[in-house]
Amino acid sequence: MSAHPGPRARLAGGLLFWYAVLGGAVAWAVHLLAGWGVDELTCASGSDHIGGVPLRAAVGAAVALPALATVGALLAAVLLWRRTHLPSEGEDRSVGRGRLLAVVGVWSNLLFLTIIVLGGVALLVLPPCQR
Amino acid sequence: MSTTAAPVPGASREQLDRLEEHWGERPSLRAWLTTVDHKKIGRRYLVTAGLFFALAGLSALAMRTQLARPEAGLLSPQEYNQLFTMHGTAMIFLFATPMLFGFGNFLVPLLIGARDMAFPKLNALGYWIFLFAGLFMWASLPFGAAPNAGWFAYVPLTGQQQTPGLHMDVYSLGLLFLGIATAAGSINFIVTALKLRAPGMSLNRVPLFVWAIVATGFMVIFALPALNLDNAMLFLDRRFGTHFFDPEAGGNVLLWQHLFWIFGHPDVYIIVMPALGIVSAVLPAFTRRGVVGYVLVVFAIVAISIISFGVWVHHMFATGLPRLSYSFFSAASTIITIPSGIQIFAWLATMLLGRLVVRVPLLFVIGFIVTFVLGGFTGTMFALTVFDQQVTDSYFVVAHFHYVLVGGAVFPILAAVYYWLPKITGRMYHEGLGRWAFWLVFAGMHVTFFPMHLYGLFGMPRRVYTYPSEPGWDAWNLVSTVGSYLLAVGLLLVLAGVVHAIRRGRPAPPDPWGGDTLEWSTDSPPKPYNFAVLPQVHSLHPTWDESSRESMGAGAEADRVLADGRRTLLTSELDGRRERVVEMPASSWQPLLLALAMLLFFTAMLFAWYPVAAVAAVAVAGTVATWLWPPRRPERELGVSA
Amino acid sequence: MSGGVRAATGTAALTTELPVGRSTGWWGMVMFVVTEATLFACLLGSYFYLRFQFGAQWPPPGIAPPTLLKPLVMTAVLLPSSLPVIWAEHGIRRGQRWRLRTGLAATFLLGATFLALQANEYAEKLREFTLTTNAYGSLFYVITGFHGLHVLVGLTMIGWLLAASLRGGSFGAHRHDRVRNAAIYWHFVDLVWVAILFTIYLSPRL
Repeated sequence: MSAHPGPRARLAGGLLFWYAVLGGAVAWAVHLLAGWGVDELTCASGSDHIGGVPLRAAVGAAVALPALATVGALLAAVLLWRRTHLPSEGEDRSVGRGRLLAVVGVWSNLLFLTIIVLGGVALLVLPPCQR
Repeated sequence: MSTTAAPVPGASREQLDRLEEHWGERPSLRAWLTTVDHKKIGRRYLVTAGLFFALAGLSALAMRTQLARPEAGLLSPQEYNQLFTMHGTAMIFLFATPMLFGFGNFLVPLLIGARDMAFPKLNALGYWIFLFAGLFMWASLPFGAAPNAGWFAYVPLTGQQQTPGLHMDVYSLGLLFLGIATAAGSINFIVTALKLRAPGMSLNRVPLFVWAIVATGFMVIFALPALNLDNAMLFLDRRFGTHFFDPEAGGNVLLWQHLFWIFGHPDVYIIVMPALGIVSAVLPAFTRRGVVGYVLVVFAIVAISIISFGVWVHHMFATGLPRLSYSFFSAASTIITIPSGIQIFAWLATMLLGRLVVRVPLLFVIGFIVTFVLGGFTGTMFALTVFDQQVTDSYFVVAHFHYVLVGGAVFPILAAVYYWLPKITGRMYHEGLGRWAFWLVFAGMHVTFFPMHLYGLFGMPRRVYTYPSEPGWDAWNLVSTVGSYLLAVGLLLVLAGVVHAIRRGRPAPPDPWGGDTLEWSTDSPPKPYNFAVLPQVHSLHPTWDESSRESMGAGAEADRVLADGRRTLLTSELDGRRERVVEMPASSWQPLLLALAMLLFFTAMLFAWYPVAAVAAVAVAGTVATWLWPPRRPERELGVSA
Repeated sequence: MSGGVRAATGTAALTTELPVGRSTGWWGMVMFVVTEATLFACLLGSYFYLRFQFGAQWPPPGIAPPTLLKPLVMTAVLLPSSLPVIWAEHGIRRGQRWRLRTGLAATFLLGATFLALQANEYAEKLREFTLTTNAYGSLFYVITGFHGLHVLVGLTMIGWLLAASLRGGSFGAHRHDRVRNAAIYWHFVDLVWVAILFTIYLSPRL
């Protein structure tokens, strides 16, 4: 582990950090807006296809892709958690702050994954336009 | 963990004099109107919100008096409609949020070890707008022109045809006006917490109250635009004949509901979240330990504030949308209970593992937990659609949300009043009086609202100005009315306690409770510059930690005194590393003038004096332009080459 | 490559402070833009909500689908107007005041042209339908009008910066926060126009 990563590595690391903390939340927001918007608007227009794709498949994609993104964020959060699992070197606040947000990230990604999966279960049970 | 007396100042006498000279204000009318001191503004927010609370409370008393017996004639239906609408609107918009913003204004800079908010003038502007918007709305009541269609103002009832007159124009314009203050305050909290934290206060050392108020700020900036847009559309529909909500011409009434609840559900958390932050701030002092599971509580705050945006459709489960799209919202509505539960259990564990010191603030916190959990319990009952459809628009709903809001907001606010009164006024309150007030408020609250569950189940609809004599309704309504007077007496005792403390209370030491956060390591009330030496923070509980306290006393460094001008420190966003010293603005007339120009604009819009409104808009633009006009500086300082 | 990945996932890189070192004004403007962007998102969301609830024919009978030529010209005027601001901002960071003045003036001209074109567009549309014709008319004028108001506010900011920079003693290599904040707002106004172009002018043709 290099002690002084270069600026590009730092930028990548910083972005990975935020993906680990907020990735699940963003993925869930996308899932909610896409799933709800596609389902509701397509059904309102009285069709069950959008541009040749069956509605169920489209909504399925709006569940599966965000779920995968959340799993990725969860893995990143776990990585961050392990990397901040150091004996605190005196006054290194970045590690303590990283640790805090790593735990927040792990829990919130788990939570958002659960929400997305629960929505996905409904897709298996309900026909897309049943009122 | 000591309750030592006055902290040993780390600044010299001469430095203190210079700080006083730069930050102090001699009392005068001019100073009063132009101040930008966050403590004075915070106090004003508290007092003004308290005034609107009293007005909204008196409206409720009038309604309860009318409902004490069947077929009473104290109030006409028109008066009753205006009173219940103003009661709800004022409690939500003019009391709960501004009161909590008042605590935020007073406390956030003290909690993070700064000398003021990030934008002090904007802060003053926010207060004036809040005051004027509140007066704008209340002033309509004596003229019989107050909003009269309920606080969520569903179209088509609120359309021009169904509700002619100024009523709903006052509502939409008043809330748009107020929205400016709320948004400005929220941005100010976020930026202050990001940039002005004392050196050393990395995110893992930020007090939970600050986390809560920042989360609230983020919720406001994402949720409030939906309400603003909704109100703008309502006003345009009513005044200028647009058709957003008119199904005859391609509009849709459900659009109002969607936009309203996109705002409205997060708003429940906007109200409750800072109140929960208060609970997390009060508990450590009265359990003699930090809140259990700090990390999990932070997680809960973050998660709730995000998920709260994905649940709005659950207010509209009866509007005929595809079931599949409901399920996405149901999933979020179910899961949001997990972080909420985490917070409750964290507080219970804190009380269980700590050593309880039963003082008035702790009593209110316990009252909060009991009441709020009961409100949450009836909330989960609504999740059963069959049950929900039985009790919709009955008094059962009224009972539910009063348990949530009185429990979730009023009790923590009262805890905060007693907890921070010594810091705000420099005086101690009377413990016995406080206990009486608690028991009266607690009993009054439950005697008023518990019976509402019953007569709601017996079928009494909400929002009726009177009712026929029915078995089960009459007696319980009378009980509710008696309870409301009990509650009023209790709240009056709170007021008496505050007045007594200011007039007769014994002087408060800097740290009467042995609290853990930074506000307890400075004077009560704090000096205009808050801290003679800006602290260097070494832990989550700086006042309980020797090295953080040292940093303001014997361990003071010259570059944390900053006595040459109105100065404070900027630190880095995540880790609180020292960045640079910044100059803070001094007192100014601009905030008051700008707010007055805006008041003129909204008044002119209300009465359709459009040329006046145009003049006012120009005045607003002109004031903003002079406000931001850069001072002339020498070229050398600017760094100009060509 | 793997060395790069290893460096980026090491403790030091992962705990890099990002964002860092921004001014309070920058944060204030960004938060303001975020809340404004949410407002536009709600507004455009309302457009789609009403449109899809309305039925097959949109715009409603009696109103022709919008023509594209003029809005595309407006886009061609407004979008590039961000470039001179960027150029001006980079200039003043090096203390080059002439670049600040020239760039701001160019942006001001482009923005004013946009508003003139929009007035021309309105003059044409008003003959066909108005704010009160139906929900489509309400949406069209409120969305474009609200954006036009933002362009006007942005123009006022640009003009104000221009006036301050012409006075002298305002901006330099060490003092340019205001330029940056106004630039952020202007870029935002530009980007919103793209979303409006798509919503109002392009989407009825899809």
